[in-house]
This record gives sequence, structure tokens and C-alpha cells, in this order.
Amino acid sequence: MRILMLGWEYPPHISGGLGTACEGLTRALARQGVEIDFVVPHLFGGENAPHMKLMDSTRFAPPVTAMGSSEPRYEEQYQQPVPGAHAESILEELFIPGEVSPERAAERKEKAAAALGGEKGLIRTIRIPSYLSPYMKGLPTRKVKKKRTLPGGTTVEEEIEEFDLETGQSQTQGIILRTLKHAEDLLPAGIRALLPHSLSDDSQGGHYTGDLFSEVGQFTARVLALAKERKYDMIHAHDWMTFPAGVALKALTGLPLVIHVHSLEYDRSGENGNRQIEEVEKIGLDGADTVIAVSHYTRGLINQRHGTSLDKIAVVHNGVYSKGAIDQYRQERNWPSKIVLFLGRVTFQKGPDYFVDAAARVIPHIPDVLFVMAGSGDMLPKMVERVNELGIGSNFLFTGFLKGQEVEKMFSMADLYVMPSVSEPFGISALEAISFNAPVIISRQSGVSEVLSHALKVNFWDVEQLANLVISVLKYPELRQDISVMAGEEVRRLRWDASAVKTAAIYSKTLARFARR
Amino acid sequence: MPSVCFYFQVHQPYRLKHYPFFKIHQDHRYFDHDKNSGIMKKVARKCYLPANQAMLRLIDRHKGKFRISYAITGVAVEQMRKYAPDVLQSFKDLAKTGCVEFLGETYYHSLAGVYDEQEFQAQVAEHAKMVQEEFNYKPTVFRNTELIYNDRIGAAVGALGYKAVIAEGADDILGWRSPNFLYDSTTPNLRLLLKNYRLSDDIAFRFSNQGWADFPLTAPKFANWVHQVSGNGEIVNLFMDYETFGEHQWESTGIFEFLDHLPAEIMKHPDWDFQTPTQVVDRYRPIAPISFGRTVSWADIDRDLTAWQGNHMQRSALQQAFDLGNEVRSRNNPAALDLWRRLLTSDHFYYMCTKWMADGDVHAYFSPYGSPYEAFINYMNVLTDFRQSVLNLKPNSDKEART
Repeated sequence: MRILMLGWEYPPHISGGLGTACEGLTRALARQGVEIDFVVPHLFGGENAPHMKLMDSTRFAPPVTAMGSSEPRYEEQYQQPVPGAHAESILEELFIPGEVSPERAAERKEKAAAALGGEKGLIRTIRIPSYLSPYMKGLPTRKVKKKRTLPGGTTVEEEIEEFDLETGQSQTQGIILRTLKHAEDLLPAGIRALLPHSLSDDSQGGHYTGDLFSEVGQFTARVLALAKERKYDMIHAHDWMTFPAGVALKALTGLPLVIHVHSLEYDRSGENGNRQIEEVEKIGLDGADTVIAVSHYTRGLINQRHGTSLDKIAVVHNGVYSKGAIDQYRQERNWPSKIVLFLGRVTFQKGPDYFVDAAARVIPHIPDVLFVMAGSGDMLPKMVERVNELGIGSNFLFTGFLKGQEVEKMFSMADLYVMPSVSEPFGISALEAISFNAPVIISRQSGVSEVLSHALKVNFWDVEQLANLVISVLKYPELRQDISVMAGEEVRRLRWDASAVKTAAIYSKTLARFARR
Repeated sequence: MPSVCFYFQVHQPYRLKHYPFFKIHQDHRYFDHDKNSGIMKKVARKCYLPANQAMLRLIDRHKGKFRISYAITGVAVEQMRKYAPDVLQSFKDLAKTGCVEFLGETYYHSLAGVYDEQEFQAQVAEHAKMVQEEFNYKPTVFRNTELIYNDRIGAAVGALGYKAVIAEGADDILGWRSPNFLYDSTTPNLRLLLKNYRLSDDIAFRFSNQGWADFPLTAPKFANWVHQVSGNGEIVNLFMDYETFGEHQWESTGIFEFLDHLPAEIMKHPDWDFQTPTQVVDRYRPIAPISFGRTVSWADIDRDLTAWQGNHMQRSALQQAFDLGNEVRSRNNPAALDLWRRLLTSDHFYYMCTKWMADGDVHAYFSPYGSPYEAFINYMNVLTDFRQSVLNLKPNSDKEART
């Protein structure tokens, strides 16, 4: 089975849990024998994805040769393995220090061989000859007036520059662009409105910067170019940013579409969410053949917010990978005070204010505690202010945004991880914290609380109970000891492999249903 | 002439109320009056009242040939008195039939037998006094909390003058031997009645299990299994929670009909009758001594103490609670002593059990807490308050603590 998967980010350049979840799921799906081409708006280098084809949407190239020719339609350039940074990072992951069993050692050796090229001598990272920007730029354009309906319903008329296909020089380019135009006609208005008038040359466009909607449109347009080139069985799109592309691809190719909801606009912003985004979500949910939700919590929310039938929504919980670096960091831990950690975006969704308020109640009882808020977000200034107001600055630390190893180090220093999310579709960070041996307190309003028994749970608004639990974990060492051991065992059972098995079954079911039509 | 010996455990703990850290030094009322009252009333309606009525009817119908025994904990009797006096009255009615034996145990259903022998003796005496007062009965056979037993506990029970102890017929203790005989313990003049756990659990756990090969269980079928013991056993000890009737096995499963027909089916075989533990001890000769080298209980598949002291939280909480013993007793403050003893009730520690898997479900079912960790936290907060505040109160000022 070959899946065209659409994502928005991929580790290590991630802004939230989405990229991590995509990595975990695709690795495990690959082990299930699922072949995946994974497209993200942009790659930054340093991504490590030997298990699939990871593609940068800005590099998309329809063939230089004409469509329908017997020439290879699609040029795959495999990188020769270089014992450089890429290979090293794999080795690092494979050869963690410490004692290993003979079986484990053999397994690692095998993996390393595969990663370094193995039988084929190839690392399966694809680089596609860049096409869009140079070719598009070469085309003549003309100015036309066009009406455009914006998401939300407003119609504007604007003069735009359009490629002049009539006088276009290359037949190939013409076909490609006509294909794009044709696809456009098949699209729901909401998505059509998102499509760009021209493809931007800005291949540096980072995610979540600038105008997100135009980026979503750019991504959609670029992804459409890919569809004709490779045969897929299914499209799998992760979160609203890729839904337009998913729906558009479905319209273009007739392939079944699975959309995967990692979070909803409601989770991020509550009732005051962005209407445009909610509309895009709705288009994706309506257009999908199957919806995957990361928790029963999210499944219910999708049904409530968008009216999607529950029959159409399957639940696949996220998994977790244990990190090899724990022991190393563990030994470095010599912080004098107890650390209570909040790690994540400092936004409404994550409930940072409840964390601060709970801290204020804990500190009088445990004077040597340090509350750490790691991350940044729109509520950060307010949190800093609140901490000052409460006069707990000497027990409170803001680290700003952490990444990569800093995150791991932070987790491993924590005596307790708190996730007081107001609305959390899953909350993979809680599993990460556990894999670093930290006990966790999670809000009941989180998907992860469905899969974790060995965690302390609290309603996010119940600051007093949150404070009570924090104090208890710090005061009663037996509790910390038991809960981290039990949770560790529990998390080891929450393997991505289980999620992948479920996902593969959903693929098969969706295909079967699709074939009957 | 072989006998069936029925024994039922009747117990309800004083469940703690939600007691966050911030209540320490502020609030010395530890128990959840509403929850305890609600549970007692619910169990009374579903189990105690209909089951007692059924037992009375059977005793009446079989003209005294149907006999049973109970161990009712002191804390259960207190709560009956407070929340469901009709239940207590119906037990008294049963006592008057002369067909019912009441066993001795610790008043507070505690693990004192494992942790504190002095405390154990005090709680056993208090329980015997209660049984005498309420049911006009002097216990002569002992049943320790959750059938927890080892040779050392046997010695302690023997020293208190009991004739026999009932215990779990654990496979590793019995070896090739059968639970269907009376045994000697390692303490002189102390007999052992061992639970036939297969037949007991057929009723207590498997009765309504539709996946069980022998489902549905009928009275003739069960009586037939009992009758098969003829010739290679003298007693069949059926020990179970009384809540089996109507609470664990709901009325809709047909458990009461089963109970109603069982005595007649068993006594269809002219050799078989019903005896209480003391009658068993008086009638049969012990066939051999048997030693309990390890501590055995009737809980879970492990049949050991891991349901109460299987993790760090439980061991620490138990240790800290029992460590207060000398201090509490030395204060000569009956209210504080009673309060402390209520905190020794084994259920508090059972709620902290993290042996999830198959058994964990049972723990979760009975627990008033969201998780064993919350159970631990709540208990430790209460114990901290008890240690830091209540122990230092003047005897007069802490009457309010007895709620």
C-alpha cells in the first residue's frame, strides 16, 4: 500500500506535537509495510526519515519530459550515503551507551547497516529537481480581473496576474498548468479561494509565519502537481493546514482521503477561534472518507463542533518512543530544589495560568520548589506579569522556547511534569515526560488521560486540587517512586506500532468501502 | 456424615472524605458521612436485607438444619447502627435462631495481626465485646482480616483462647492435601478450617460469568459437585463476602433463587448437612497438622499480602500508621484512639494497590478514588493531620473528630 501523506512539519523543526506524532506514526507504519511519501511545505535539512520519502513541497517537479511519455515520469535522485551528520545522527540513536543484550546489539547493527545504505547503498531521502519557480517565472503572464470569494463568504474583485497559457512556450508546462486549473474547478469554493494566483518563489517560507492561509494555498497548489506522477492508494492529511490539499487531491485523483485530526481550532483558541480555520476544518471533515481522531475526547469534539457523524471518525491514540539519552542527563541532575515543569506553548489551550495559580498555592508549603515554565506563546507576557503580581518570582523560572536536546534535558531535570491543558486532543508531551521518569499530572480534558492510568488527573480549573497533587508528589517520595515506575511500564506498552496497526486497518477498511462504490 | 460450612464476611469501612493537603491543621473530620451512609443504605437494600431475609426463611424452612456463620466487623456494625438500623436488627434476629455463629476478628478489619500484636489483641477483644453485646454470642472461632493467616498469627489467636481459625486453602500450602478436612495448626489446640476456594469462587466470582463453561450455575449442579466430596472429605468450607448476594452478583443474575434452593439440594443426599465452624471443630477430628510458613490471604490470584502492601506507597503508609501505635495508646484519649484505629482499616491500603492487570479491576471497582495514587495522597494527608494535630489536642476538644 502506498500512501501520499500530507504534513505540515517534521522533526527536528517542529513547533508542536504534530511533527513528533507524524514521525512516530510513519516509522511504525513503515514497519507495517506501508509505503509513504510524506510531503511537508518545506524541509530544513537535518530531517532524518530513512523509513519513507520525505518531500519538500517547494521542490516539486512535474517531469521535464511530457506527460504520457514513456520516459520515467519522475526523477528520483537518491543521495549517496555520506558518513556525515545524517549518518551520525542515526548512529547516535542506535548506539546509546550502556549495556545491551546480544539480540538488541544485533538488531542495532542491522538497523545501522540499513541506515548507512545496506543492500542498496542508498539513504532514501528524495531530492526532486526543482521546477516550479524557474519554469513558472519563464511563462508569459497577463492581467485579468477576477472575483474571489474569501473564506467566510465575502466576495472581492481584484486584478491579478495570471499565467498566459495560450501563448505559453512549453507544451509540458501548459499541460501541467491546465491540470492545475482543471483540478481547481473540481475544488470546493472554500479551497479554491485559498489557492494562490501564482506560486511564490519563497522557498524559505517557514511555517506559522507570515500569512498562514496563503501558505496553505501555496502548499495545496504545489501538492497538486505531485499527484499525477506517482500511483497512490490513498491520501492521508494531518491537520487543517493540509486538508485543502487533501481534498483537492481527492478531487483530482479520485483517491480516498483519510484526514487525521491532531487538534482542532477549538482546542487552540476555545470559542474565539478563527472562523476561517474552522471552515477549512469542516471542508476537510466533509470531504474525507475517514477521519482519524487522536482521542475519544477529540472524536467527541469533532462531532460536536462540526457535526461529523461519529461513524466516520475512528480513534487512534498516539504512541511514544523512549529516548536513549535519559541516563546521561539523569546523572547530570544536581539541581538543589525540586522542579515542577510546564513545557509547551504558553497559550490558552495549554492552561499556563492554572499552572501559575497552583504554584502560588504550593510555594508557601514547599519553600525550595522551583516552578519552570518552558515554552513561548501569546500568553507568556501575561504569565510573567502574573508571577510578579503573586510575588513568587524567586520560585519561578521562564526558559523561553526550548528545542531538541534542551527539551530532553528539561524533562530529565523535572521532578514532576504538569499538563493543565484546557483542551488537549492528545498531549504527547505527557508521555515524553514519563519516558524521562517524571511523574505527571494531566488534565482530564486531554486525550492522553484516556490511555494513562498511572498519572494523576485533575480538572484544569481545579487549581486547589492541582496544588494538592503537586504538594503530594513533592512531599511523598513513595508516590513518586511508584507512579513513575508504573507509568514507565505503561508507556512502554503504548507503542507507535499499536497505533500503526490500527491505522493500517483503517486504510484497508476505507479502501474496501471505497471500492464498493 | 460430611458437612457444608458457610461463612460470610460482612464489612464496610469508614471511607475518607476528599482531604487535600490544605486541610491539614484545619479540619479533623476525616470521613465522608454522605458516601458511607449512601453505600451502607445501598448495600442494605441490595444485599443485607434481602439476604438476611432469605437466610431466616431457609433456617425456618429447614427447621434449624440450615446453619451459617458470619464475621461482622465492628466498623460495619457501627455504620449499620447509624445508617441502617434495620440491617442490624435483622442480624440480631438471625442470631436468635441459634443456627448462626458469629466469628471473632479485629474490630476495625485491620492488619494489626501482621504489624502490631498488642494492637491486634486489643482490637480482637473489642470485637468480641461488641459481638457479645449486639448478638449475645461469645466468638470461639476466629477469622482474621481478609483471611490473612500465618503460623505466628495462629499463635496469637490461640493465646486469646480461640478453638479454631478459618483460612484460605491455598494450593502451595496444602500441596497434595485436601481443604475438605479439619486440620491442626502449629499452635496446640487451635484447629484450621480451610476454604475450598474452587467451590467458593464458583458462587462468589463465577456465578454470573457467561463465558464460564459451567454457566449457568444451578443449585442441583452445585450440590452435585459438593456431593462428589463424599468419601474423600468431611467438610466443604464455602467462605465468601456476604455482598456476593445481591451486590457482587446482582439479584437479576438469579443468585437469590440459587441460594433459596441450595440447602434443599445439598440435603437431598442424606449424608450431608450444614454445620457452623464451631460445630465442625467439635464434630470432626483434625487429620494432620498444617503449617502456614508464608502469610496467606484470600485476595486476588496471589493469595498473599500484596493487595495491601505490594508497593512503596502501601508499605510506607502502613508503616507510618502503625508506628503511631505506642504514642496514640499512651495519650489515654479514647476519641483519638478510635480515630487512629479507623485509619488502620485495611481498605485504605487496598485502595492504594497498583497491581492492575486482571486483579486491578476488582480493586478499581471497590475504590472510592480515581486512582491508587489519589488514595495514597488522601490517606497521607489525613494521617499527617492526625499525627501533627489530633494527637496534640486535649481529650475534650476533639469530640468533633469522631464523625
